Amino acid sequence: MLNKKLMGASALALALTAGAAIADTSDKRIALSNNYAGNSWRQAMLQSWEKVTSAAVAEGVVAEAPAFTTAENQVTEQAAQIQNLILQGYDAIVINSASPDALNGAVKQACDAGIVVVSFDGIVTEPCAYRIAVDFKEMGRLQVQYLAERLPDGGNLLEIRGLAGVFVDNEISAGINEEVDNHAQFQIAGSVHGDWAQDVAQKAVAGILPSLPEIVGVVTQGGDGYGAAQAFAAAGRPTPLIVMGNRYDELLWWKEQKDANGYETLSLSIAPGVSTLAFWVAQMVLDGQDVPQDLTVPFLQITQDTLEESLANTQPGGVANVEYSREDTMDVVAEN
Amino acid sequence: MTHVRQIVEKPWIWSFVGMFLVWLATVLYTGGTGATQVITAALSFATFTVIVGIGQMFVITTGPGNVDLSIPSTIALSGVLAMKIMGGSDAMLAVGLGASLASGFAVGVFNYMLIRLLRIPPIIATLSSSFLILSTAIAYGRGLKIKPPRMLADFTSAQVAGVPILAVVIILFAVGMSILLNRTLYGRSVLAIGQNMRAARLAGIRVERIRFATYTLSAVLAAITGFLLAGFSGGASLNMGQEYLLASIAVVVIGGTSVAGGKSNVPGIWGAAMFMFLLVTMLNTFGASAGIRLILTGIIIVTVITIAGGDKPAR
Repeated sequence: MLNKKLMGASALALALTAGAAIADTSDKRIALSNNYAGNSWRQAMLQSWEKVTSAAVAEGVVAEAPAFTTAENQVTEQAAQIQNLILQGYDAIVINSASPDALNGAVKQACDAGIVVVSFDGIVTEPCAYRIAVDFKEMGRLQVQYLAERLPDGGNLLEIRGLAGVFVDNEISAGINEEVDNHAQFQIAGSVHGDWAQDVAQKAVAGILPSLPEIVGVVTQGGDGYGAAQAFAAAGRPTPLIVMGNRYDELLWWKEQKDANGYETLSLSIAPGVSTLAFWVAQMVLDGQDVPQDLTVPFLQITQDTLEESLANTQPGGVANVEYSREDTMDVVAEN
Repeated sequence: MTHVRQIVEKPWIWSFVGMFLVWLATVLYTGGTGATQVITAALSFATFTVIVGIGQMFVITTGPGNVDLSIPSTIALSGVLAMKIMGGSDAMLAVGLGASLASGFAVGVFNYMLIRLLRIPPIIATLSSSFLILSTAIAYGRGLKIKPPRMLADFTSAQVAGVPILAVVIILFAVGMSILLNRTLYGRSVLAIGQNMRAARLAGIRVERIRFATYTLSAVLAAITGFLLAGFSGGASLNMGQEYLLASIAVVVIGGTSVAGGKSNVPGIWGAAMFMFLLVTMLNTFGASAGIRLILTGIIIVTVITIAGGDKPAR
């Protein structure tokens, strides 16, 4: 009898201590402040957030985790949004920012109010915030290194850049150009802005293509590979080696080419599920765990061997994705 | 001599002059390579700008303050709707086109209701409706990209001897629209309203009916663009209309249509759309950086508008 009671009590105590790590945050509220939702990557990002956080709320890990998206993709609008979130008393704010520095004022206010701020993808430079950054420069370098491996003779490259004036675009392009300088066999024969959109890339490439010499490789920033392929086909030119992103149409085109003529390439991208990594980082910080202020996320890499698998796991018309669990997040934190 | 003067006095001629100069500069720079291919590319892409540009032109013609800012989201909604309904099947082509046209019509009616019943200025009305339209597209399509039916993709990208078939169709369409503007009761009414709405009303023109038709026409043309563009570029996406917001207004203005309304022309839209595409191509070919490219684009557009719009003051 006594034994049983003791056992019960110790089991309860055990359950309490085991649960403690998680239960600590069960009354916490985490908000997502997002600046833009108008493309497939952002849609997938929001869906991943919704999926992972609703499960976390159901399990009682956090109290709630709503997502808020500004309508106009404006810095002022997002700053006002963050101020509202501060007033509403959220414990943590996860931000995909419209600008690296223009939100710093609002972010500082949040930190001063004792709110944990985690930025990802579009990061903020305010020192008090956590940053889940991508090594975009490395993403550029890797592409050229891959091309150098595949095309030892070198030749002319076409560079498709992203949205002009955006930090990410500058970084990837800088990485590409750095690495091209290291490989004398490559020259960038032309450079256009594809805005990470398939149709914009197609238009820009179709315009510049007639004036270019033979192109052996296309370095991209994701979302633009299929548009480039279409522009080459429309101009009746041989298809060069195009580095792909993670959009379904890019992967599908690659698969079709692979089946038809053994086309081989590489896909480099950022999984939109990085929003869930940011969610777990915020939760861990609220939980009192030690998380470095700056984290780097691994790229989502798809190779010739993993293409079929990735394609099968990607919703038709969607984006290849990886969602993070709490354990995955701890691994990423441990690796940094 | 009078012939020459007559041509120079046409407001639309300047967009064609600009187009030719920009093309010439590109070709000289490349030493002649790709001189004709670049025209082919310009024709295929200008087509889409022309369709929305014509719709925007009718709206702008009805007078100051009239502009349709819902064009980009209408393009996205129509494309997403049509692609999802067709699901890549040729048999559903007519249904998809019908859905696309219906969505355009609905947007037009909605825009006009905001303007007329709620008395919201057109800029605000169409801007706010664009949020609703895009949200509908997001909710319906969830950002997924669905392939167009084979026949639609083939039709929109077909070429004969370097001339895109779609461009020919749209050139004929533009001729029809030019007749609509200059020779029909509707077109003359639009011009009259743009010159002086009060006078037009007193002259017995059913002003509100004409404005209703104009906003609907613009939305339907945007919907058609969405349908064709999705076919051309391998599927609909949420941001596919984005660049047509400014482009639709720019081609109208560069084409020699008066922003103040009441004075417009259709040919200039073709010239301006080609000019805009070739301009970006030229700067890309020169290897100009994005900053320089934006600055030059701005300067060149202002220059063309100044020359084209260099109207003698009204007598």
